Amino acid sequence: MNIEAKADGLLPREAEAELAGHLAGCPACAAEDAAISATGPVLRALTGIRAMEKAPALDAMCTRVRAGIEESREARRRPSLIARWVWIPAVVALAVAALLFYPAGTDRSPFHPSTFDVAVEDVESEVATVALIDKGEDLPRVIWIIEDAKT
Amino acid sequence: MPRPDPRGRARAPALSFLLLLLLLAAVPSEAADTVSVDVGAVYASNEGTSIDPALGTIRGKLHSMFNYTSYRMLDRKRRTLSVGEEGEFELPGRRTMRATPLPAQGDKVRLSIQISDGPRKLLTTTLGLRRGGMVLVGGPTHQAGVLILIISAE
Repeated sequence: MNIEAKADGLLPREAEAELAGHLAGCPACAAEDAAISATGPVLRALTGIRAMEKAPALDAMCTRVRAGIEESREARRRPSLIARWVWIPAVVALAVAALLFYPAGTDRSPFHPSTFDVAVEDVESEVATVALIDKGEDLPRVIWIIEDAKT
Repeated sequence: MPRPDPRGRARAPALSFLLLLLLLAAVPSEAADTVSVDVGAVYASNEGTSIDPALGTIRGKLHSMFNYTSYRMLDRKRRTLSVGEEGEFELPGRRTMRATPLPAQGDKVRLSIQISDGPRKLLTTTLGLRRGGMVLVGGPTHQAGVLILIISAE
């Protein structure tokens, strides 16, 4: 048991000194110690050989995985030609929609009348006197409300 | 991992163009049956000598037609109304204006207009204008001056 612990490096220093004394006088235990101590390097050598055998296959697999990841990233980074220009008609459609449905109730653009040609078909008031003022084609027609006893 | 369907992306511009065409096709038919009524409420007084630049080209005409020294636009509203549809415009001083487009031919617009001050009907009139035409309705007192309404229809 102490021989295995020594091989694993787990034996305390005092016990190791005691074991060394025993091994010096016991050929059987010395032979067992030698056999167990040789196991580690043999296993390491075997593992190394197996790794060398598998290395090309592992490298090839790594290369394939990296290439796959890179291809996927590239496809995400660079959209197709159609996808790259798809926003243009979308923006045009949005602009037209904004022009059509823009709330015009608060329009503040200056007045630019194209004509002052107005026909007053009828006019009446229950509480005021109403005057029609026409100062010519270049000026707008005016309906003036004279509130009784006010204006 | 499932990849996005490239056919879906290819359909997007086609759908956008179709939407655009539908919108453009819808505009003329709607414009022919509707009237855009624009009402600006101007406060005319002898307080100061400023003329609101928001009045545009009508500034000089107001100045030459009336004996006030100051013209300030208090409010401006625009409603797009169908023939027979009544639109209400709130005016300064708790007054209201109701406008209803009437059937008209060609580029003419006919508007039935009623201006009220609470329960009092200040004015009831029917106007015939060309699209883009303008008429002024003034006289109701407001603060130290009067209100002048700039009514245009397109």
